[in-house]
Amino acid sequence: MSFAGPSGLSDHLGDALSGLLDGELGTGREEAAMAHLAGCTRCAEELLAVRQARTWVRALPPVDAPFGFYERVLLERNQLRRRAALVAVGAAAAAVTVLGVGSPRQSPVSPAVPRLVEAHAGGASVGADLLTKLAPIAVPVSFGR
Amino acid sequence: MAGSGVPTWEEVARDHGRFLYTVAYRLTGNHDDAQDLVQEVLLRVRRGLETYRPGSLEGWLSRITTNTFLDETRRRKRRPVDLLPEEPDRVMPPSPGADEAMAAEALPDDVQDALRSLPPEYRSAVVLCDVVGLSYQEIGDFLHVPVGTVRSRLHRGRALLREALA
Repeated sequence: MSFAGPSGLSDHLGDALSGLLDGELGTGREEAAMAHLAGCTRCAEELLAVRQARTWVRALPPVDAPFGFYERVLLERNQLRRRAALVAVGAAAAAVTVLGVGSPRQSPVSPAVPRLVEAHAGGASVGADLLTKLAPIAVPVSFGR
Repeated sequence: MAGSGVPTWEEVARDHGRFLYTVAYRLTGNHDDAQDLVQEVLLRVRRGLETYRPGSLEGWLSRITTNTFLDETRRRKRRPVDLLPEEPDRVMPPSPGADEAMAAEALPDDVQDALRSLPPEYRSAVVLCDVVGLSYQEIGDFLHVPVGTVRSRLHRGRALLREALA
């Protein structure tokens, strides 16, 4: 029985050889392929070639990442995360400021000076002159107006 | 696993780091590109860009890795500056004797070089089948191509690889 290729005509096996090699051809086509192989040197040689290639690739050893590679990647990831978190906090703070939330209104402080003087004088001992008693609070303080 | 079932970076690195790196290295053929590829895969894992199917973590990782690799090679192709062939004027050294026994002892570095000389689509099929060990159906699902295309790419890739090492 000859092998019917994708064109439907009797043909060389082509990629069906890899299918045969990998057990991916399906029972019916496998039998036909084996029958074709028995009488076709070209396909038999091609089968050997692809089988050899497959053997080489399968025999390739596992490859380790350079020492510390994953640790470095994870570290960088964590740093990025922290930075992203800080940026998020910064953005939130900026938004709050722009909206005027949490930023106290500034109003000028204007203490009632006469009342302060009066209170101080009221606590003073009898006989002391008013000016002396005022001295401790006569520090250079400027009050906003 | 995280609540969504998607593994964390730490789990991937700890339990599958060697597997992931091996696939990336076999696809790219050098450590610099393999490291870039693995980093991109880990980003995709974190972003949850790919749907994880529980039970086939390494299959899932190899799918992300291969698709990321193919995306990157297509992106580079679109940039004129990267149109240079990967291995210009490369001449494979003839194998002395060239009998089956000698040829059967191909060095891993030579096999890797031959693998790298394959077109990315062929290389991906060969790596997914012969390094990862996936079925044609799985490879077709991963690469969004019919099984016949998988078989064709795989076969042509193997044939070219054998020629390169002849």
